[in-house]
Amino acid sequence: MTEDRRPDQESVQPNNQPSRDKIDTRNVPSATRINEFLIAGVSILVVTGIAWLLQRFAGYQTVALLYLLLVVATGLELSRAPVLVVAGLSALLWNFLFVPPRLTFFIGQFHDAMLFVTFFAVALAMGHLTSRLRDKEIAERQRERRTAALYELARQAAFATDLDTGLRAAVNLIESIFAAKAALLLRQSDHTLARVPHSASSLALSEKEKNLATWAFRRRMLAGKFTDTLPDSEALHLPLQGRTAVMGVISVRPNRSFDLTERDLLEAFAVLIGLVLEKNHIIEAFKRAEILEASEHLRRALLESVSHELKTPLAAVQAGIDALSRHMDSDQKGQTTLTEVQLAVRRLHRVINNLLNMTRIESGVIQPKLDWCDLGELAQAAIELSGEGLGEHQIIVEVDRNLPMVKVDQPLLEQCLCNLLLNSVANSPPGTKIIIRGQLRDEQLILSVLDEGKGIRKEDLTRIFDAFYRGADASPGGTGLGLAIVDGFVRAHGGNVRGANRQPRGAEFVITIPVETLAPEIMETFA
Amino acid sequence: MSEQATALVIDDEKQIRKLLRIVLEENHYRVLESQSGKQGLADIALRRPDVVLLDLGLPDIDGLQVLKKLREWSHVPVLILSVRDGPEDKIAALDAGADDYVTKPFESGELLARLRAIQRRAVLPGDEPFFRAGSLAIDYNARAVTVKGREIKLTPTEYALLRVLAQHAGKVMTHKQLLREVWGPNAEEQSQYLRVYMTHLRKKIESAETGEKLLRTESGIGYRLVSPQQD
Repeated sequence: MTEDRRPDQESVQPNNQPSRDKIDTRNVPSATRINEFLIAGVSILVVTGIAWLLQRFAGYQTVALLYLLLVVATGLELSRAPVLVVAGLSALLWNFLFVPPRLTFFIGQFHDAMLFVTFFAVALAMGHLTSRLRDKEIAERQRERRTAALYELARQAAFATDLDTGLRAAVNLIESIFAAKAALLLRQSDHTLARVPHSASSLALSEKEKNLATWAFRRRMLAGKFTDTLPDSEALHLPLQGRTAVMGVISVRPNRSFDLTERDLLEAFAVLIGLVLEKNHIIEAFKRAEILEASEHLRRALLESVSHELKTPLAAVQAGIDALSRHMDSDQKGQTTLTEVQLAVRRLHRVINNLLNMTRIESGVIQPKLDWCDLGELAQAAIELSGEGLGEHQIIVEVDRNLPMVKVDQPLLEQCLCNLLLNSVANSPPGTKIIIRGQLRDEQLILSVLDEGKGIRKEDLTRIFDAFYRGADASPGGTGLGLAIVDGFVRAHGGNVRGANRQPRGAEFVITIPVETLAPEIMETFA
Repeated sequence: MSEQATALVIDDEKQIRKLLRIVLEENHYRVLESQSGKQGLADIALRRPDVVLLDLGLPDIDGLQVLKKLREWSHVPVLILSVRDGPEDKIAALDAGADDYVTKPFESGELLARLRAIQRRAVLPGDEPFFRAGSLAIDYNARAVTVKGREIKLTPTEYALLRVLAQHAGKVMTHKQLLREVWGPNAEEQSQYLRVYMTHLRKKIESAETGEKLLRTESGIGYRLVSPQQD
């Protein structure tokens, strides 16, 4: 017997994990067509011999049954054409060799003619029916093999304890079923395809093949061998399509050509591997989110506890000052002392708030809560927040009343403006003007605070937003955190803040934040 | 306040309780103290204080839970006194039924003013036909609003918004509460309505000539109309 179609199949299987159940996806019968005709011929010869010996005792009519038996038997084993040949040949041979007059095709008796016709019809029908049965069985067996293969993949890859083991099992399975080397290129965290194959791969890919794999990944289409896209490539590249995204590409280099069923199975494999990868990805993401949430929770709890420990005694001191102050109505010295203590407490309160804010910024727990905000209201609220800190400075708000509303975290931006105002107050002489300006340009909110003070020294320009940095000529009393907090809050909004000098004197601080705006038309419809 | 009012301080810090007692007693309150949430709830039920000062960071149950439980059976005015100064903490407490929120450290004058305001609201029958704060006057029956005696024309929505704020004068109304009261429960997320109408309302009742700030913005939380005697 010559195996001319799939010589590699049997030879490869044994050396891959012999313990594993053999999974065979072949869909053609083991014997080839020529072999089948040979078998058919030989079996007819054998049966004819036996019939020749038997007819002496059993009569020529009975041996017809032998031929029928042969037709049924071949029908169960061989494909349709040889079976029909067997049916026809049997009828003719029976007629020629056994029906009197012998050694002629002539049939003398009427009942012999009837028998011949019936025999012929029954043989054909039998041959047809049995081969149909067999086709069905073959199809059934193929389906079963496919299911078994997919089940095996699911069992080994999907339920593996970790992803690497699962992928290795998948590659091994592909090697054993398709007799092909395979390489896995996975999607990376930035959603591009890796250039280095996963460690489970058994195939090294050339640059050209990698490019083709990337193409298959981007287009979500098969590419390479057996496809319309660069069919002369070495390998077939299948995108690993999960439910929502392509999780990678599997590149398979076959040693022979694949038929439709095999390619179909390979595609099913790719989908299954894609799903396994996606499941893994989702689990990982879930775990990460859980860890993140836990650590954020911890940080918040810690901050809250620190905040509580610092502010509670401060609250006690404050309440004490208030109580004392009422008892010392007439005591001038005592009142002066209390006023100083009061100022110190306020300053301490400010420092604690700044430190807590800085800690929040640095631990990344600041998440702006965006809501609609009126810029005029924002500027006004910032001035109120600064309160007595503004001293004798003249604050001018330059915000066009017709500006649309913007979506920002108002409390955070208020704090920013307040810090900038206090910074300007500290760095410009009393009585001078400080301007708060709000503008919108190309979906960007621009908030500026401009003063008429001494400006920013050149060497400080790049460093004023660093935490705890204080310029050499900084006025006493600051912590070096005010501007750093502005920077942190603005960054949390996805914007930036910079400082510059004005002509002829003074400094300007400009906050730029990308914002969503509420169109004025909508505002008018409410009016 | 003719009769002596009773204030219950629920705070686990002994020092704070002691100092609050001094401040409150000086201002003619009778002071009760509880050092935990459970004890506080029991004290409110048994001793019926006129006003409650509640800390949020309590050792047994969170102050917010105390407030929620309390609100199932009592309308006693509650002032939250907490170190938590984030807008979300304030909103949560106000939405859960707190009457006002003061952060620690606090200045006694401010605290007492807020206390008086929430007590006054609790005493008022709520169906007074007139409201007056600074130069603003509202005649509910005539639906007439005047500033410095000059009548102001308001749209129905603006009037509804002003009325809600006036009926809760001195108290912070959260964005959610205002949206619910004026636009209905389905509008709770439509904060842009509120912002637009507040801007219009401000333009109309805070005229430049008086320079009065009647409508206070509680940043990230809500709005407050100054109370009649405050300011």
